[in-house]
Amino acid sequence: MNLKARVVSIMVYGVLSSGWMAPGVWAADAAAAAAAAPATPPAAAPQPATPQPAAAAPDAPPAELKTLDQEVQGLKKDVIDLNKDLFVLQEELLFPANTQVALYISMDVGTFFALDSVTVKIDNKEVKNYLYTAREADALLKGGVQQIYLGNLKVGKHELVAFFTGKGPVERAYKRGATINFDKGVGAKYLELKITDRVPKHQPEFMIKDWE
Amino acid sequence: MRRAFLAGCLILGVATAGAPLAAAPSMVGKEAPDFVLRGLDGRNLRLSEYRGQVVLVNFWARWAGDSRREMSALDRINTTYQRAGLVVIGVSVDEDLRRAQEYAVAMRVSYPILFDTGSEIGKDYFLQKMPMTILVDRAGVVRYSIVGFKRGDERIFLDQIRELLRE
Repeated sequence: MNLKARVVSIMVYGVLSSGWMAPGVWAADAAAAAAAAPATPPAAAPQPATPQPAAAAPDAPPAELKTLDQEVQGLKKDVIDLNKDLFVLQEELLFPANTQVALYISMDVGTFFALDSVTVKIDNKEVKNYLYTAREADALLKGGVQQIYLGNLKVGKHELVAFFTGKGPVERAYKRGATINFDKGVGAKYLELKITDRVPKHQPEFMIKDWE
Repeated sequence: MRRAFLAGCLILGVATAGAPLAAAPSMVGKEAPDFVLRGLDGRNLRLSEYRGQVVLVNFWARWAGDSRREMSALDRINTTYQRAGLVVIGVSVDEDLRRAQEYAVAMRVSYPILFDTGSEIGKDYFLQKMPMTILVDRAGVVRYSIVGFKRGDERIFLDQIRELLRE
């Protein structure tokens, strides 16, 4: 077979397999079938015995619509489930439990300190700088606990320093720091920045709690 | 070979002639990236806390000549429409914080002025020219983005603001 004939055969196969004709039927077979077919006019061809679609028309649309609606609802649910799985997978991949470090912040009373911002450094590298709006500070005062940082750390010894800025007693600008040295084990690590009032001294107190 | 090369060039030319030029990226139609910045009065403001209200964010710089005229116009708009649910926020992108604060004090506008000395927000909002104003609808989506300010733009702002407030 020469090159031209090969190209033509490839093209014919491409056309056949792309849906112009039923796949698997070669052009030659189709031509033979056409030649063997009786030369009856199209009008005389036997009609298929399938029921007319118009007969079921009055009842069909609502049922079809109902099925379609159910399918759409099912698809929506699948998308939500997939999204949830993807989120969990992403969390597990980005922050695997054995390297995960989560830092939370809470505030108790807050009479002597109005929180403005928190800067967190781990091993002398700034990992978070968060500015608080009045609404967010209020939420903390009402007992809310915020996850301020989520990251990964190697197993071993680490140092965390947190700087708190805001307004202290008598509306004075106030900046304080708190430090913790901790051992990161194999499991996840949870730390909490706690701002409390030290009533006898009329001063705020800043602590970092290591949740074992 | 030469003919084939010329034909190829012709085809390429025809194919690329109808293609649009690379347009500057815009935030219109996208969710407004959230930010939190310190204001002139020392309070921090977060954009997402105004979800449910129509927000006009005006990015300005001391060195941009149109900023002054635009801020005066926005001040008038703010005093008229804040009771209707409009929130106007000015964001200075000046690197010199002290001079930007002095400028803002001198302008004496009625809406909050925030200061961004970093470059994150500029990147998020594709800031290229100053001043630039965006209008965020109640769902937090950027609906309009206007670069620069010229005479008559105040009327365009008002039309867009009214449209968003009606929604």
